Amino acid sequence: MSLVGLIGCRDRNVNSIKEAVKGALKLIDYSLPKAKKIVIKPNMCYYWDWSTGQTTDPIFVAALIDLFREEISPNVEISIIESDASAMKCKYAFKYLGYERLAKRYNVNLVNLSEVEAEKATVKVKDEVFEFSVPKIIRDADLRVNVPKMKYMSFTKISCALKNIYGCNPYPKKFKYHSKLNEVIVALNKVMPFDLHILDGLTVCGSKTLRLGLIMAGQDPVAMDTVVSKILGVNPKSVAHTRLAEKEGLGKASFIIKGEKLGYFMKKYPRKRLSDKIITFGYTVACKLGLDRRLI
Amino acid sequence: MFVGNMKRVNLGLIGLGFIGKVHIRNCLKIKSAKVVAAADVSKKALAYAKEFGVKQLFTDYRKLLKLKDVDAVIISLPTHLHADCTIEAAEERKHIFLEKPLARNPKEGEKIVSAVRKNGVKCMVGYPLRFVPEFANLKRKIESGVLGDIQIAHAVNIAAGPFFHRAESTIPRPVPDWWLNKDLTGGGALMDLGCHMINLLRWYLGEVSSIKTHLGFRFNFDFEDYATCIIDFECGASAILNVGWFSQNTALGVELFGTMSYAQAYHSPSSRVITAIKLILGKTPRFFIPYLEELSYFINYIKNDDIDENRLSGENALRDLGAIAKAYTNQIE
Repeated sequence: MSLVGLIGCRDRNVNSIKEAVKGALKLIDYSLPKAKKIVIKPNMCYYWDWSTGQTTDPIFVAALIDLFREEISPNVEISIIESDASAMKCKYAFKYLGYERLAKRYNVNLVNLSEVEAEKATVKVKDEVFEFSVPKIIRDADLRVNVPKMKYMSFTKISCALKNIYGCNPYPKKFKYHSKLNEVIVALNKVMPFDLHILDGLTVCGSKTLRLGLIMAGQDPVAMDTVVSKILGVNPKSVAHTRLAEKEGLGKASFIIKGEKLGYFMKKYPRKRLSDKIITFGYTVACKLGLDRRLI
Repeated sequence: MFVGNMKRVNLGLIGLGFIGKVHIRNCLKIKSAKVVAAADVSKKALAYAKEFGVKQLFTDYRKLLKLKDVDAVIISLPTHLHADCTIEAAEERKHIFLEKPLARNPKEGEKIVSAVRKNGVKCMVGYPLRFVPEFANLKRKIESGVLGDIQIAHAVNIAAGPFFHRAESTIPRPVPDWWLNKDLTGGGALMDLGCHMINLLRWYLGEVSSIKTHLGFRFNFDFEDYATCIIDFECGASAILNVGWFSQNTALGVELFGTMSYAQAYHSPSSRVITAIKLILGKTPRFFIPYLEELSYFINYIKNDDIDENRLSGENALRDLGAIAKAYTNQIE
């Protein structure tokens, strides 16, 4: 069983978040390793800033930078990584979401994975071989830190640790993978395994946006996603990419919670209402029937 | 409003982005007009037009302008292309419906107005808020005198700007690069949303005598994503205008305070789900109805000489642009 640490954090400031993350890492018995190069992968799915609950808060990332410099070395080289996507371009997202300002202030690199050196790598999932470009910066990093958000998603039911790594694929037109989304998510996690997953659950989006004040840490993305499924009120067994990830050896769905009670966050999270579920179902069906072409 | 048995107006649609697609759908509802041709650099966009029965499709709008059977054009291109396209359309003697804002700056706007005048064609700039029933009702209230003499107005237009998405909220849409380039748009939220509101306030209160602005930069671009304007009108009234591109929810309204009474009008879109269902069923969602009304007005305008052509003319829109240019100059630190 994998350890998952839960910590509550009410205040949105660097020091409070840093102390809470420290606490969460302690709960999972994790000590930061010696590292010269660290990559941090936040969620920057679109031009929605932290206040929407959709993307990782730059203040959260600032707290991690502070922590790594304090605990590892003040000279550690830190890069914040993201890749272009069908509807999002890094050059705008870095600016719009506040990461450009953060990079200047904290002297860290902002890296668009779609524009850097990468090597081809093949990976097998469910008897199918996938080929991806793996950015050298990820491969060469001594510590890879995944900082996802927790949310519902039409096609995968939930999005958290495993899904966030989808954004490490440098290929920008990611919609081409939508027909095999679950397999591709798992394949990317296999080819680019991250060492540490720290969830920014300070502000979350569900049926509405809410300050949840949750920080979750773990080394096992499958266990993290399983816990998140429970908070979101989604049966973990119904989330195909989590199930597949477990089968492919990326982690275990069984977990031990340390720290705050899971029930508190399950109760507080703004879960989808029945009407939201009907809408999502209707939209998915409309897409499958090609009716979404009639939208503007 | 529209007389259906008059000769049909053949339209050419130039630019099939979001608003171009709204227009193509709305044209199907106007019996006396038909989109006979469409132009866009994107073949995917042209395929959309084809689905709605448009037969002549071009990737170069100049070819569309040469068509003899096109009486008028709807130009819904990015702002930096307004001047060239509108001037060329005027020279080809096509009547013009041009999306707001008229141009990036008054200088370009003047060129458009002068080409329209020189070639004797009719030009209307699309300001759909004047066709929103709530806002039209406010105008009637002012004219009736029940509010007395208007002294103060508040106007607000807060939305997601270019970062809006399709009817179903989980699908983000790509933002075209031109939207995020001040040189191509002429400005940020003040230009995009402010021109709507200044046009509306001018309709209510007359010409602007002075304007000052505070520009905001929440999202760190080189253009403003929100702005607050203090506007004085020649009639003696003053207005506060707030516009912004930062919210997932639209707030669009005007409050008027007169010597006798006050009145307010807000226009909100229907829910995303209802909008999506209506679009799939080929119906007109509530938010698109003012766009349909303005297009009907345009068709009527080019067929009749007795319509108040100053109401939405290029000259009128040029005054909005003039006020915005002054606002950018008179910034409050």
